[in-house]
Amino acid sequence: MTRVATPKLGAYAGLASLGLLAALATRRPELVVLAAPFALFAVLGLLLARRPQLEASVALSADRALEGDELELQVQLRADVGAERVELLLELPRELVVEDGANPVLLRLREGERRELALRVRCTRWGGFRVGRMYLRTSDAFGLFRHETVLDRRVPLKVYPAEESVRSLLRPLETQVFSGNHVARQKGEGIEFADLRPFVPGDRIRRVNWRASARRGELWVNEHHAERNADVVILLDSFAEVRRGDRTTLDPALRAAASLVARYLRQKDRVGFVAFGGFLNWLLPSTGTNQLYRIVDAMLDTQIVLSYAWRDIATVPRRTLPPHALVLALTPLLDERSESALLDLRGRGFDLVVIEISPLSFLPPPEGELAELSHRLWDMQRDAVRGRFARAGIPVAVWGDESSLAAALEEVSTYRRQARALHV
Amino acid sequence: MVYAVAAGDRFPAVVAAVGAGGCTLTALALPGRWPSLLPAGLACVGGCYAVLLGLRGGAVDAAAPAVAAALFVAAELGFWSLERSPARYERVALVRRLLGIGGGAVATGLVGSLVLVAASGASGGVGLEAAGVAAAALTLAAIAFLASRSSV
Repeated sequence: MTRVATPKLGAYAGLASLGLLAALATRRPELVVLAAPFALFAVLGLLLARRPQLEASVALSADRALEGDELELQVQLRADVGAERVELLLELPRELVVEDGANPVLLRLREGERRELALRVRCTRWGGFRVGRMYLRTSDAFGLFRHETVLDRRVPLKVYPAEESVRSLLRPLETQVFSGNHVARQKGEGIEFADLRPFVPGDRIRRVNWRASARRGELWVNEHHAERNADVVILLDSFAEVRRGDRTTLDPALRAAASLVARYLRQKDRVGFVAFGGFLNWLLPSTGTNQLYRIVDAMLDTQIVLSYAWRDIATVPRRTLPPHALVLALTPLLDERSESALLDLRGRGFDLVVIEISPLSFLPPPEGELAELSHRLWDMQRDAVRGRFARAGIPVAVWGDESSLAAALEEVSTYRRQARALHV
Repeated sequence: MVYAVAAGDRFPAVVAAVGAGGCTLTALALPGRWPSLLPAGLACVGGCYAVLLGLRGGAVDAAAPAVAAALFVAAELGFWSLERSPARYERVALVRRLLGIGGGAVATGLVGSLVLVAASGASGGVGLEAAGVAAAALTLAAIAFLASRSSV
């Protein structure tokens, strides 16, 4: 612990000396009386000063939480050598807000005493944090010396993005070979009726359609659509963001990504993740709960890194984007590089869907003629980008404050149904 | 300061001027967070009382312990306010600190009364004066020595 003399020590010493000298000069004992408490205080404070020995630790009620969750944070303090006043400041990231309890707090710790301080904190934003750096400042009863130290007892905390409500997921155009919950175009083992065909040796008797067979005078069997899984890749555009206060366009994008990953994994699909931007991060598609945690952990590392380097989709490892995968791109459509990469993906035949995270709610309303004109131009530019996507056959759904993710996904589903009908 | 101005019958304006200077310095030190200015303000307020004693002369002032206690409490509260810690006090710590200041004021009064009784009985002389000078010098030296030994 670092020991520092407070200004009070010098002040009291000075006042005591001044008073005593003035008493001698004026031969007035009253001035001795004035000086005496300061002198006594200074001398007693110096003689009784001790170096406190404190130990502290931090414990969290959970090491993983969702946005909006509240956590209990326990700070345990132990004093081998106590102190009259102990100020404790627990350093918390801005994303963790104290709901109940005092931070910083000033308390008294006797020798050998153990104390537990409880704080209830609310996780306001997703992220990976390390909580537990403590600043301790002690003071003796006379307030003449301060002891300061920093204890680093950090524990990890992961706050995952809250899930958006999603009613129905987008169905991929193509399925894979493994069994899953999607009704495939291919015929095989399944429960969804597909067609009728004449009986051939080797067909199971239970697949014979007796009514059709009776009508046609020969054996006919039912064919079914196979139930397969699909490959889904969540592509997160992290080239640029719009920020307003603590909110950024990355927040809804991550919430949407987390919700979609969880839902697709729940229906046995293989899900991969690509954070495509100044900082490239990817996870190969896989299934299961572990994959969910892997992807969400990878998402927490996602951040907007400013980069002028031109990146195209060729920089993403080929295995990350398997053939016939449904690629769900979450983008604020702010960077030319992501636009180009998405068009490139479509050109390579991927089943691509773009969910535009609208940055409009993050922008202040334009003030003045020039600002309004610039805003309109920017809007037109974005419309032109959407038009380019539409011409390439990429459905784009805008998700903003005034709509839900479920509505955006429904919009895309409708677009794809209509597009298929027109194609047929 | 109020007592010094009210109790004096000679040159009350001088006493008031010294006291007002002290109050001004203190008033500047507290909101401005200048800890070095606060002792100067306290010294001026004490000086105001010293001027009163010098002008009045005569017998020992029986109110000196009360004045000393008031000055001590003012100094403690002044330094406390300069701490400006954002930490929330626990009740026990707050009560103990307030009791400490109150106890210090009472002790000041008691010790002051004893000093006054002892001083009024003493006959003075060169020896006593030399002892006084030595005591002041020793106090200062002891404080300086202890402070240098225990700093950082």
